[in-house]
Amino acid sequence: MKKTFPVAAVLTALFAASFFIVPLIATFYFSLKMTRGELGFAAYASVFNSAAFLNTIVYSTVASLIAILIGAVIIVPTAYWVRLKVPKLRPVVEFISLLPLIVPPVVLVFGYIRLFGSNSWLPLTSSAFGTDVLLVIGYVVLSMPYMFRAVDNGMAAIDITTLTEAAESLGASRLRTITTVIFPNVRAAIISGAFLTFSISLGEFVLASLLNRPAFGPYLVQLGQDRAYEPAALAIMSFGFTWGCMVLMQLFATKKPGQRWLPRFAQRTTP
Amino acid sequence: MSFLSITNAVKTFGTNTVVKGFDLSVQKGEFVSFLGPSGCGKTTVLRMIAGFERPTSGKITIDGRDVTDAAPNKRRIGMVFQAYALFPNMNVFGNIAFGLKIAGLDKAAVETRVREMLGLIGLANLAERYPYELSGGQQQRVALARALAPKPQVLLLDEPLSALDAKIRVSLREEIRAIQRQLGITTVFVTHDQEEAMSISDRIVVMNGGRADQIGTPSEIYNRPRTRFVAGFVGTLNVLKAQVDNRSPHKVMVGGQVVELAQPVETADATGHLSLALRPEALSLTPSETRNVTFEGRVEGVNFMGSVIRIRLKVGSEIISFDMFNSPNLVPPSIGQTASAHFASRDAFEISA
Repeated sequence: MKKTFPVAAVLTALFAASFFIVPLIATFYFSLKMTRGELGFAAYASVFNSAAFLNTIVYSTVASLIAILIGAVIIVPTAYWVRLKVPKLRPVVEFISLLPLIVPPVVLVFGYIRLFGSNSWLPLTSSAFGTDVLLVIGYVVLSMPYMFRAVDNGMAAIDITTLTEAAESLGASRLRTITTVIFPNVRAAIISGAFLTFSISLGEFVLASLLNRPAFGPYLVQLGQDRAYEPAALAIMSFGFTWGCMVLMQLFATKKPGQRWLPRFAQRTTP
Repeated sequence: MSFLSITNAVKTFGTNTVVKGFDLSVQKGEFVSFLGPSGCGKTTVLRMIAGFERPTSGKITIDGRDVTDAAPNKRRIGMVFQAYALFPNMNVFGNIAFGLKIAGLDKAAVETRVREMLGLIGLANLAERYPYELSGGQQQRVALARALAPKPQVLLLDEPLSALDAKIRVSLREEIRAIQRQLGITTVFVTHDQEEAMSISDRIVVMNGGRADQIGTPSEIYNRPRTRFVAGFVGTLNVLKAQVDNRSPHKVMVGGQVVELAQPVETADATGHLSLALRPEALSLTPSETRNVTFEGRVEGVNFMGSVIRIRLKVGSEIISFDMFNSPNLVPPSIGQTASAHFASRDAFEISA
């Protein structure tokens, strides 16, 4: 039987997509109108020529990467241990990992300031470095729901109990099992979590602003108040960056061990 | 002295005692199978030998060394799992080399041993393949090679053939047995498949409710089952209610007919009742000199099963089931017809509860 073209479904999808695509096109179009009477990338050039842009993006990138590292070091062994030894506690750990979605960042940061303020037992906010540490910790906490879910799903996809037992029966210690068997097999999940963490913490505003750190989020907001076209250009760039991250996540998630990153285009010639 | 010894092992999970005083001695190079239904404790005993479960009480020794509390990675055991458990991030070579690298072998020694193992399992050309590129049978061969590569003292096989299709299962079990004989490695094999256990083992441990009901060679287990459970679990068995005939300790009544046994009755209760067992293959429609006992009854069922035809005969209130080989000229009895089944008195045996 000949299939009919699903007109209603396509129209519904296009209508739904228009809510997303139309503002995006409008923002992009607006970002090109910086020079009067012509379309161009002047707003983008202005952003890239700004020292504040480069300083804040580098600062946020470094802070995000450290947050990813700390998050992976904490969450991978935790998720592994819970699945291996105390599977009954998994819902509890999952609930704890979701708390950052329930507790607003502003509550979190005021808690930090109160706990680690200049009069506290550990006055982290007394120095720039201490405040940077606090910001990174905040990023780790904020990204916890995404990192934990990604890693936990990765572990659900492989039988970690049997793999651990197989490694141990071959003489491997627990540490060696984690580093040579478990970690490589959930690498795609960790990388997915890392990209999510990166895209969240790169543009994060509340923590960076209230801790008064020179991060990218506060810069974005400030720029939105002071300029007209550059924020639109930055929004498009952020969007492109996020999509880039998602594409990379997809690449990592679907790549099998020993598989090439890209299909082999050049055919081998036979002698 | 036995190479692998389990003494009075008990394993309790919460309030549930899964293994209840299990004893076993395995000689060096012996192939022993644990056979039993799901939940009988066979895998738990295997996991206690591997060190993945710690016995609640009891003792396990390997080559005279007490390993009851030793960690799995300190026991020098090799284990093959039902689900293969190959490391997905490593290719075949990497999987087999894993244990060798941990043992600290140099690169050349690892290469030599891995090639040797690949030759043993007949997959020398697949060293670069990843697990997802292999069939189930190939994956299990690699898992076997991986377990054997570091030369373990004991090889543990946890239902390694269960996930494979019937043909591969038969060929792989023969391969496993051949490799085990070639290497002379002490092996413990867990299965719920009686045919598998019969065909592969030096001895079988039939487990029931956390205990070893009977330990013996396949022939002993099949021909002289000690309990009703063993008799029923291993092979098909006709269990008939019998009553001692007061005229002779060798005679019993089954379905109103007198049966003369080769040995005097031993297990009758106070009222003279006992259970008499007969394997289907002991019965035949054709009389012979050795088949000195005859049951007469009414044919209740005739089932064509390809190479054999299964006949159910009603003798008094008892149903006796037996098979006859099919042949093109054979005319099986019809339902309702009266027929005689003949057997040798030595083939009938008593079984206790």
